[in-house]
Amino acid sequence: MRPLIDVWRSATSRLILIYGALFVVWSVVLLGAIQWESSRYLTHVLDEIVSQRMQYLGQMDEAHLPQAVDAAGTLDPHGIMSAGLFDTQGRPLAGNIASLPQGLVADGRMHLLPKGVLRMDRLRSDISARAMGQRLHGGELLVLAKDTSTIDGLGAIIRRTLLWGLSLTVIPGLLGGLLLSRGPARRIRAIQLATEPIQRGDLTRRLPVSRRGDELDVLAGIVNTMLGEIERLMGEVKGVCDNIAHDLRTPLTRLRARLYRAQQQLDGRPEAELMEACVADIDAVLTRFRALLRVSELEDRHRSACFSEVDLERVLQQVHDFYAPLAEDRGLRFVLELAPLVPLRGDAHLLFEAFANLVGNAIKFTPAGGRVLLRAQMERNGPRVDVVDGGPGIPAGERDSVTRRFYRGDNSRSTPGSGLGLSIVSAIVRLHGYALEIGDGDGGGACISMHCLAEPAVEAA
Amino acid sequence: MPRILVIEDDEVTAREIVTELAAHGMVADWIATGRAGLEHALAGGYDLITLDRMLPGMSGIDVITALRERRVETPVLMISALSEVDERVRGLRAGGDDYLTKPFAPDEMAARVEVLLRRHQPQAENRLRVADLELDLVRHVAWRDGQPLSLLPTEYRLLEFLMRNSGQVLSRTMIFEHVWGFHFDPGTNVIDVHIGRLRRKIDVAGLPALIHTVRGSGYRLAPAD
Repeated sequence: MRPLIDVWRSATSRLILIYGALFVVWSVVLLGAIQWESSRYLTHVLDEIVSQRMQYLGQMDEAHLPQAVDAAGTLDPHGIMSAGLFDTQGRPLAGNIASLPQGLVADGRMHLLPKGVLRMDRLRSDISARAMGQRLHGGELLVLAKDTSTIDGLGAIIRRTLLWGLSLTVIPGLLGGLLLSRGPARRIRAIQLATEPIQRGDLTRRLPVSRRGDELDVLAGIVNTMLGEIERLMGEVKGVCDNIAHDLRTPLTRLRARLYRAQQQLDGRPEAELMEACVADIDAVLTRFRALLRVSELEDRHRSACFSEVDLERVLQQVHDFYAPLAEDRGLRFVLELAPLVPLRGDAHLLFEAFANLVGNAIKFTPAGGRVLLRAQMERNGPRVDVVDGGPGIPAGERDSVTRRFYRGDNSRSTPGSGLGLSIVSAIVRLHGYALEIGDGDGGGACISMHCLAEPAVEAA
Repeated sequence: MPRILVIEDDEVTAREIVTELAAHGMVADWIATGRAGLEHALAGGYDLITLDRMLPGMSGIDVITALRERRVETPVLMISALSEVDERVRGLRAGGDDYLTKPFAPDEMAARVEVLLRRHQPQAENRLRVADLELDLVRHVAWRDGQPLSLLPTEYRLLEFLMRNSGQVLSRTMIFEHVWGFHFDPGTNVIDVHIGRLRRKIDVAGLPALIHTVRGSGYRLAPAD
């Protein structure tokens, strides 16, 4: 059985993951744009304030200027605004800027100073600043700077918003998505379970269809229609086959009786031999028809109410006793290996027929000196029976075909047989709710096994 | 001369049965319906009944059930176009002694009738004897020409079946059904191998062969001609 569908791999989960990723990207882009726009605006406003103040201070006379510069620094309670007046040597004359900021160009325009300005009330500067420097008429340098903490603060607020927003939408979204995808996953699982008997050949089964009429139901409906049509066609083909086999049996049986009578009357004459060959040919045809009808009969049969507890060990022992002389005559070793088995529900006659067929085949395909092994053991789900031969084996490519009616492998064309034996075995094994497995034996030959399905199909009913 | 009642609605099949039974030295009366057939069977005087499973009105199963309820134990060979395993089981459970599927080879039908007739003959002795071959049914021992034979259980059962029906041609299918108790086509020549083994023990060199192969039919155990 294939593994059941994984919730994480369902189409819904995938869609939700893709949608979630797109949502995150879009939110980041959107809030990024907002941040960029607003910090641009804020920068513009701050620059405007600084240049206005510069203009105001620049026009002041030299006597009042140091006082005004000092005041400009103290007027700012948040310590955002810095102001400084430096002499021509770059020594501070007034204000709260401790030293001439590095990288400042005294051109009366705003510049971004990534290292900020070193203020007297702070030990170090770690906040970048926007600053403007202007030479006054007396040669002093007036510097006004505003650190960018406001702009950075805005950025931080927007980033926090983004983080909260995303975690509040993405996490519940993903969880909700997973919950949502469980519904379809459960239905797919139901469909998967329903298809298992169909894959095993029970074409009467259909996929479950809910009343919702959604895409899954539409799909299941289509598959069900197809199954119905396949079942009908199979039935027709099988019906035609069965009818031919059934209808031809009567005239063939009569023909055989007449030929046989003629053969008896001709006893001893040379024509009798010809008659005998004719009878043998008709017998071969009749055997084939019988086998064909037998397969149909077994396939049509449903698990029967007359199933009873079967002692599988006893059945296998009987098969061994029945075939041991034949194996010995062919110069084969026929080994029976039995582990204690629990009884299974079934039909002892049909099981004997199945294993007799397998063992008969195994003996047929094993050359003299070889070994045929009939082995039974207990597995977790129930008994497993292997028939291992010492023949050429069944090539991997033919393994699915060998249980088909009339199929004869390349290795078996030269051996007599109808090509129906394995079909009969397969039908019987399936009837019992077991699986037939064709593999390699230890010695290069084929190993044909009857074993329980992973989940026992043998219901208590 | 055994008297057989043939209950069969199909005229062609009925004629086939009657002719074949006559060829085997039996007298056969043909009745076409279940009801009339039951009356005849109840009237008695028949050694065996061949009974079609599907009859108009009263089915073969009804007929045999009615017979067995009235303690009529005449052996019945059910003949049916229904070959299914369940059908066979149903027919035998209802009281049929053997089951033959249509279409059948007439000689096989006759052989089955003879086997049934033999089986229902009172067995006076505990020993079966064919020429110098002897079988002790109580002690499960056999002798050929006074010499004890060592037989495996299957070989013993096979020999017993052949000896009980000595002179009778027995098909491989019949042997498989009676000795092993299974009803399908074993396909290979397994039966031949089992017969071969028995033959090697019984038909030892220097003694006339008792087990004969009948071409196209099966085997027959009989004194050498």
